[in-house]
Parts: sequence; C-alpha cells; structure tokens
Amino acid sequence: MWIMILFCLLIGLFIGMQLPVFLTMVYAKYMSIAVIAALDAVFGGIRAYMEDSFDTTIFISGFIVNTFLAAALAYLGDRLGVQLYLAAVVVFGVRIFQNLGIIRRYLLKKY
Amino acid sequence: MRSKGAQFAIAAVCLILGIMLAVQFKTTESYQADLVPARVEDLTQQVSTVSQERDALIEEVLSLREKLKNTRENDPAMADLEKDIQKANLSAGFVPVQGPGVIITLTDNASELQSGENPNISIVHDSDLLMLVNELKASGAEAIAVNGERITARSEIRCAGTLILVNWNKIGPPFIIKAIGNPDTLESGMLIKGGYMGSLQVLGIQANIEKAEKLDIPAYSGSMNFSYAIPMQYEEKAE
Repeated sequence: MWIMILFCLLIGLFIGMQLPVFLTMVYAKYMSIAVIAALDAVFGGIRAYMEDSFDTTIFISGFIVNTFLAAALAYLGDRLGVQLYLAAVVVFGVRIFQNLGIIRRYLLKKY
Repeated sequence: MRSKGAQFAIAAVCLILGIMLAVQFKTTESYQADLVPARVEDLTQQVSTVSQERDALIEEVLSLREKLKNTRENDPAMADLEKDIQKANLSAGFVPVQGPGVIITLTDNASELQSGENPNISIVHDSDLLMLVNELKASGAEAIAVNGERITARSEIRCAGTLILVNWNKIGPPFIIKAIGNPDTLESGMLIKGGYMGSLQVLGIQANIEKAEKLDIPAYSGSMNFSYAIPMQYEEKAE
C-alpha cells in the first residue's frame, strides 16, 4: 500500500511538472491553502485506513470539500481584510501533525 | 474496511495531491526566482553592458557614414551624384546640421499638487511633444531634434511608462526641442494665439521658446531598413 501511495504521488508530481499551468501570485496563495487541506485529508485518510475505520465516501468528500472550503475561506478573508487563511493553516497544521503522530504509533506497533 | 477500494481512493487522491503540489512548487519557485536580489544585480549588469555596446555601435555607424562620404568624394564617378546624395541625406536626417532656429524648453509643472488635482495635467505627455513638433514642421522647420534625438520621417514619439520614446530611445523631462529654420517664423508660429504652446502654459507646464543664432542638431544615429516598401519605377509625366 505504501508503495502504491508513493508511486501515485510521484506520478502526480511528474504530471504537475509537465502541465503548462502557472498560477499568478494572487491565486498561488489560495492554492497553497488548498494544498495544505489536501495534505490533511490524505493523512487523515491514511490514519483512518490504519484504524480500520476508512470510509471512501467520507474520505473523497472530505478531500474535495475541505480543499475548496479552505481556498474559499482564504478568499473570503482577503475580501474582509482579515487573514483568515492563517486559521486554516493553523488548524490543518495541527491536524497533520496529530495524524502523522497516530500513523507513526500504528506503524511502530505493527513492526 | 481495508479494501482495495480504500487503497484505490487514497491512491487517486494522492495523484491529485501530487499534481497540486507540483503546480504550487513551480509557481512558488518562479516567483521567488524573480525576487532574488542577485537577479536584479544581474539585470542591471546586463543593461549597462548592452547600453555600452549600443553606444559603441552608434559611434561605429557615424564613423562608417563618414568613411562612406569620403569614399564617395574621392570617386570621380560618384562626384556627379554627390549633390543628390547630400540632399537625400539631409532630408533623411543622416547628417548633423547647423543653422539658426529656436529652442523650446518644456518642464513639468513644478508647483505642489493641491488635493483633488489631476497629476496627469501637470506633466508633459508624448502627445504634447508630438503636437509641438508638428507645429514646428508646419512653421517651416527644416530639422528638429527632441533631447538630442533627430526627428526623421520614421521617428516615433510615444509614451513608454514614465518616459517617452523617440527613435526607440528613452527621454525624460526637461524636454528640449531644437528646430532649425527661420527663427522669426518659427517663433511666431509657436506663439500664435490659441496655439498649442499657449494651452500648455495655461495648464501650468513651463514652456519657453527662445531664438538662437546658431544651433547644432545631431544626425539620426539609428538604421533605416525597408523590408516591405519596394521603390517603384519613377516616371516623369510628360506634359
């Protein structure tokens, strides 16, 4: 499973590098929040998978909704003049570390 | 629930995440590369090298033209054509000229802007220069130069950000327009009531005109290439 995840990630990176897509600085900010949300969703999914409580629907919907919601929140913050994206960064950052910690513990228990 | 489906879902999402990451990497990288100060220094260096090269080439053009002139003068077969060539060069702006004329000096409005005033009206625009040059031509100017840039038949006067391009060279205020011609005619042509000089002065732009006994106007230093216009056979009409 780990090999498959890594392999897919590498393929994604490769495709992304080849894509002739460039974002302007304005959108790069929202994209960065979306990327963090996506990272959080993936780690959450892996954790759920390790805990045997994985639900495909929840995982996929969580990934899509969180990603767009995070970007939308950052956009709204910009409109309001509040740096709302910081909230998203903090929340997702904390969750990523929590999930990583749990994944690590499972792996340690397993091997 | 450790099904193949779950693995597939995670793998698919990882693929998308990879694409997003890569795009973000590329974007961040390209923006950071722009902001590195070393790059600014690099560009400054390049600009100064290229400017030096350009100046050297301008000198070369002028010296080659001089050589061409000498060759023509020494060649007896060309001697007959010399007068025609001289005339053509004069009208093309390829030779520096000297003579009486007027000097017009234009400077932006120096007074402080009051709140609510449009800063656009107190600066000299490309259109102002264009109008003045046109007025000078209409008043019989034989040779015109703006800040040392000879106005030829193909010269442009065009806004380029904060500066103005003439013959693809950037010029900035103060603008000094030199024109050779009959000084009295030129001056009265420019100071005519309701003329363009007057309206510039009303806007607060410092526009001055003075007559000069002897003016030097430089030659056009660029090249003139015609890639599309082909001369047609010149036929004199018989009466």
